[in-house]
Amino acid sequence: MKTRAQRGGAFGERGRPARPRLLACGCAMVLLGGCFSAPRVPSIAHTGDPVIDGNAQLAAARPEDRVLWNYRIAAAAMRVGNFEEAKAKLDDAILTMGGIITNSAEAARARSLFSAERSKVFIGEPYERVMAYFYRGILYWRDGQPDNARACFRTAQFIDGDAEKQSYRSDYVLLDYLDGFASAKLGADGREAYRRAVENGKGRPLPPYDREANVLVFAEFGEGPRKYSSGEYGEQLRFAVSNSRVHAAVLTVGGQTVTLPAYDDLNYQAATRGGRLMDHILGNKAVFKSTTSAVGDVAAVGSIVAASRMNRWDGTRSEGSQNTALALGAVALISKIASAATTPEADTRTWQNLPQRLGFAALRLAPGEYPARVEFLDAAGERIAGSARELTVVVRDPAADTVIFLSELKR
Amino acid sequence: MLVLVLSGCATRGVKNPDGVPVTQMGADERGFVAGTGIESQDLVAVTDRMTRSILGIPEIARAQVAPRVVLDPVVNDTRFPINKDIFTDRIRIELNRNAMGRVRFLARDRMATLERERELKQTGQVTASADPNVTEFRGADYFLTGKLSGMTTRTSAGTSDYVLYSFQLIDARTSEIVWEDAAEIKKAGARGRGVSVKPRHAAGEPALT
Repeated sequence: MKTRAQRGGAFGERGRPARPRLLACGCAMVLLGGCFSAPRVPSIAHTGDPVIDGNAQLAAARPEDRVLWNYRIAAAAMRVGNFEEAKAKLDDAILTMGGIITNSAEAARARSLFSAERSKVFIGEPYERVMAYFYRGILYWRDGQPDNARACFRTAQFIDGDAEKQSYRSDYVLLDYLDGFASAKLGADGREAYRRAVENGKGRPLPPYDREANVLVFAEFGEGPRKYSSGEYGEQLRFAVSNSRVHAAVLTVGGQTVTLPAYDDLNYQAATRGGRLMDHILGNKAVFKSTTSAVGDVAAVGSIVAASRMNRWDGTRSEGSQNTALALGAVALISKIASAATTPEADTRTWQNLPQRLGFAALRLAPGEYPARVEFLDAAGERIAGSARELTVVVRDPAADTVIFLSELKR
Repeated sequence: MLVLVLSGCATRGVKNPDGVPVTQMGADERGFVAGTGIESQDLVAVTDRMTRSILGIPEIARAQVAPRVVLDPVVNDTRFPINKDIFTDRIRIELNRNAMGRVRFLARDRMATLERERELKQTGQVTASADPNVTEFRGADYFLTGKLSGMTTRTSAGTSDYVLYSFQLIDARTSEIVWEDAAEIKKAGARGRGVSVKPRHAAGEPALT
């Protein structure tokens, strides 16, 4: 009576133990092989204009990255004074993030073992969403709608309530300060928001509200946090921060010199966000990837050993060893495939042109056109050489607030 | 096996959109894209209610001459940035539609255009059907305005947002508040789930739906 091996191998060649060897080879390939596919980066013809280039990138980007590009374009547009463009991009981004999207198909897919986190619609980390609302609030105030600006500042502070530790929740100084300031300007009571701002400021002096102040100056300095991934499989989201030399700005206009200290630091906000639900999911994915890989390794080695012992010393074949080799080979293959297909990489898509520090000041100016000068200060309060910039402040309607946006960043 | 192995290495190619269908809905319907913020169904419910309420007051229902009303934009005291004009616009439209001439609105938001037209008439650049030097821009009998106030609660389970929509009709001569009404809507969104809505009219009246 012929053994199964004698009747024919797994792949049909009579008399040869093809199946175990091929499986063993497959296992070896799986052990050595790696599956890697880089995310698609839109390729465009660069013009040097951050808004034009950003829009071209947006047009070529994946739908899941739309909010990311909207963020970037909005910040760049703010810095070149293209406020209508910034408004349009922020409104589009806020529209996306405003919906309840936790049950979206993309989010569900991102939580699954075999889809990367970057496959979900990007809305950003809390500090990124906060900044979208912060910028939109500035633009609302610029349009004569301090109540809608206040709504944006409130929602921004609300978003920061996602931080893991209580002490880091809703702890932006400027958001509460501006909430109260808008209320004061609207004739309401801003004292509670001011109290919260003082509390968040942890001893940092905050100017009392001047309801007659009609020129509001928003300033930003330094480069904000960047994301990177660490961990064996890149499953841990980390933030790379660089401490900017600029800690404050000084505006000289209409015979007044006003200091704009930094009230908030996005590096601090990014670093204190704490854990996310997604971190646990990615951690579990990493464990699954590691475990299935280890199981695959063990099974593959077992399969190779079993295959090597199939031929007995007397020339006959051991059916038991053959079956063991086949079973272990199959386990190795499936485990390795599952491991390779598991994507625990953290999403490192970053709103990369955010500032590090946010400053603000309010002053009174009569209607008119004023030459102005802004200079940036270091930690010791010394003027940074070569940082001075000239600008013109135009106050048209004394009854309406004039909003000035100053950025140390170029794009 | 081979397919599985290859699928693990597949790169993302040109994505064919799924062709998401568009669903046409009524403005008063709650859509499938819902948050805890102020949405069209809230606007419709609140403004419908306010319109019915205003039409019932004696100052409007029994006025010998149609009172002139100026709309003052609502004040947004919530955490949701909104298009504020849309509330007063819809109340104006509904009142004009249902009041049968019992109330008139003054287009104060068009004053710049109207003054320019009057200047053209005064300088004879365009024809006039009446003496353009006589001021005929009417003064307001009443101001209609409102306020949206919000309160947010957040727990580990989710978020709830309560919004109080209050509206007032103010006598321009005496500063008396001749009418006031309010509606309140509370929405709760659980983490990873949908949104539940509990709309109510103020003072325990039937729910707004």
